Amino acid sequence: MLGVTELQDMYETMVMARHYEERLQEEYLEGKQPAFDISAGPIPGELHLAAGHEASGVGVCHHLRAEDSVTAPHRPHHIAIAKGVDLKAMTAEIFGRETGLSGGKGGHMHLFDPDVNFACSGIIAEGCPPAVGAGLDAKKRNADDVAVAFLGEGAIDQGAFLESLNLASVQNLPVVFVIEDNDWAISMPKERVTDVTNGAQRAAGFDLPGTRVDADDVIAISDAATDAIGRARDGNGPSLLEVQVHRRMGHFMGDAEGYRPDADKDAATRRDAIERLETKLRANDIDDETFDELRSRARDRVEEAIEWAKEQPEPEPSAAYEDVFSSPPSEEPERAPSVADTGGED
Amino acid sequence: MARPEEHRQTERSLTMSRAMVEAIAHEMREDDAVFYMGEDVADYGGIFDSTEGLLDEFGRDRIMDVPISETAYIGAAVGAAQGGMRPIAELMFVDFFGVGMDQIYNQMAKNTYMSGGALSVPMVLTAAVGGTYNDAAQHSQTLYGTFAHLPGMKVVVPSTAYDAKGLLHTAIRDDDPVVYLFHKRLMGIGWLPAPDGPKTGVPEEAYTIPFGRADIKREGADATVVTLGLHVHRALAAADSLADDGIDAEVIDLRTLAPLDIETIRDSVAKTGRLVVVDEDYRSYGLTGEIIAGVAEGDLAALDAVERVALPDVPIPYARPMENEVIPDTDDITAAIRRVRSDE
Amino acid sequence: MSSNTPRVAVETADVWPEDSDENEGVVVNWFTSEGTRVDEGDPLCEFQVEKVSVDVPAPVSGILDEIALDEDDEFEKGETIAWIRRE
Repeated sequence: MLGVTELQDMYETMVMARHYEERLQEEYLEGKQPAFDISAGPIPGELHLAAGHEASGVGVCHHLRAEDSVTAPHRPHHIAIAKGVDLKAMTAEIFGRETGLSGGKGGHMHLFDPDVNFACSGIIAEGCPPAVGAGLDAKKRNADDVAVAFLGEGAIDQGAFLESLNLASVQNLPVVFVIEDNDWAISMPKERVTDVTNGAQRAAGFDLPGTRVDADDVIAISDAATDAIGRARDGNGPSLLEVQVHRRMGHFMGDAEGYRPDADKDAATRRDAIERLETKLRANDIDDETFDELRSRARDRVEEAIEWAKEQPEPEPSAAYEDVFSSPPSEEPERAPSVADTGGED
Repeated sequence: MARPEEHRQTERSLTMSRAMVEAIAHEMREDDAVFYMGEDVADYGGIFDSTEGLLDEFGRDRIMDVPISETAYIGAAVGAAQGGMRPIAELMFVDFFGVGMDQIYNQMAKNTYMSGGALSVPMVLTAAVGGTYNDAAQHSQTLYGTFAHLPGMKVVVPSTAYDAKGLLHTAIRDDDPVVYLFHKRLMGIGWLPAPDGPKTGVPEEAYTIPFGRADIKREGADATVVTLGLHVHRALAAADSLADDGIDAEVIDLRTLAPLDIETIRDSVAKTGRLVVVDEDYRSYGLTGEIIAGVAEGDLAALDAVERVALPDVPIPYARPMENEVIPDTDDITAAIRRVRSDE
Repeated sequence: MSSNTPRVAVETADVWPEDSDENEGVVVNWFTSEGTRVDEGDPLCEFQVEKVSVDVPAPVSGILDEIALDEDDEFEKGETIAWIRRE
């Protein structure tokens, strides 16, 4: 059972995650109006924001330690924030700066922070097998660390997910699979691509527990995650959770969502897990002053990270040639002539 | 074959995506066996507009949104093709080929051969390729060489709307599997602006462009530049900039990698003696080496100087300065042409 | 064709995305050129509002007399983007 202090912490993290996405949206659109050129502005490339997914990342990661591993999909920010990824370095990465998590090599779909065992894959469901591997690693070390793989409901038809469920099950590994069901795989509604309305039913085929949390409610998600993570930590094997979340923005920034009924968009906006938690906290006598404090602390951290990131230098072009290997071949082959023009490798 | 320039004044111009859609629609009207499967190809019209508007005319039975299950639906296209249908299956990004690769290279590409010719697999696998918009390592590759390396697939890479339509008609009518790789930067999408060049005049009627015929997009006597896709336009820009200095470069657009029109390249090199091969795929074990080897095998003595301009052997980085560094640009091509001319 | 026949303005208000609050657009692609004959309903060009692309059909048949806004030009909703001279 979560205490009020814990709920306040979760509220603050959810507000931070939401504010982060809203601010990134503003930054992303800079230089992209009125002509939307995906490669223009301070943040180029695709940007998949997670506004409306906060309850999932926060409700699950609240129960994780730094030693526990998480893999996230192409929509990773809320999960990264909840897992405790360095916010400044993550933001600098999204802005493509030298001091970003990966020095600007990864970008927003490929965030890696080994300090808190956080990793991403931009390919649907492909974060699942490495999470199984993290569970295998924990088991071989006789540690009680847990691995969590997040995926979207559109990913549950992928072989990588189904094979991972089976491998985790047969090896009895400490892995929790969390399906974030936001009803939409880009433009494809769930009912068009699978006949299973409850993705947690996929668990039955692999003889592992499957639970669906219908409400976009961080407390309900947290309760379900407590059970699943506890089970994994105690050596009782993997579980599958599906949690209902909502996509408040398009699939990616610039998605006009012409395929999505207005009623569905409106409903997603109304079912706000942050407001739901606020109601709960108010019932527990949390006053306006405390809310103001929680909100401003969350916002300040976001603003500070964005401001810091934007001041960071861009990477040198020649940095593109580094990090292909951890232990590079001792004799580097001859590179493209442009390397020499930029100073080459160190 | 009429050249795009000749159409400019007399016919409407089309973007590459619209030219592709026109070819698909035409073939679907002519032949009930043709249908299209992919992710977000119905209501969305394809993330890169490859099927824009087709759902309205053909409905969900023929413009099929499929689950995110590349192995299943690409394999299903193989099976349907063997049964007599003519499916077009779309990989949203070519980078996702890994998810369904067995169906592509062990089934689609080999079933005709393994069956001793008893089966044919008349399908098209379309995929969006290429970088230049900071989508990082998992969404920016071209992988031209990967598909062309593996036997059993015909591989097509259009660079203009005119070529895109004619090659797609040929692809859909072909009785073998065709991998049709379209460059995102060339599609003419509002949010991903194309360079000048890919939007060309396009006849309204159907026409085919035979596979295995490269197209000389610019004639020149001083150096041969062989390239494909987006880099056709970068090479043309490089050639134009060098013309002021009296260097007259010939630009050859490969258009199909398998079959490869090595003769057109050899003829050009016989004339110029200098070869620059430009590729947006990785440098090693790929297209640049293959073209140079093909020329050398034909007439080693014809080659006075050779350069290759390609992606270095690194994954494609996200940040702008690094992506710009690794993807060859017009200046890189200009410099390479100057280098092969440096002993003149 | 006579230069005295009236010119018809090609505007974008009728095809502007319904749910967009944005009043600025950008011309993305022209599919025809000045002096070309067009039929009513033919797509003349494509513009973009936010990330939505919209085709502009020819309001009447005739000759595309003047392109007022080129590719990449920004414009306000309601601005004339071209003129067609009826035949």
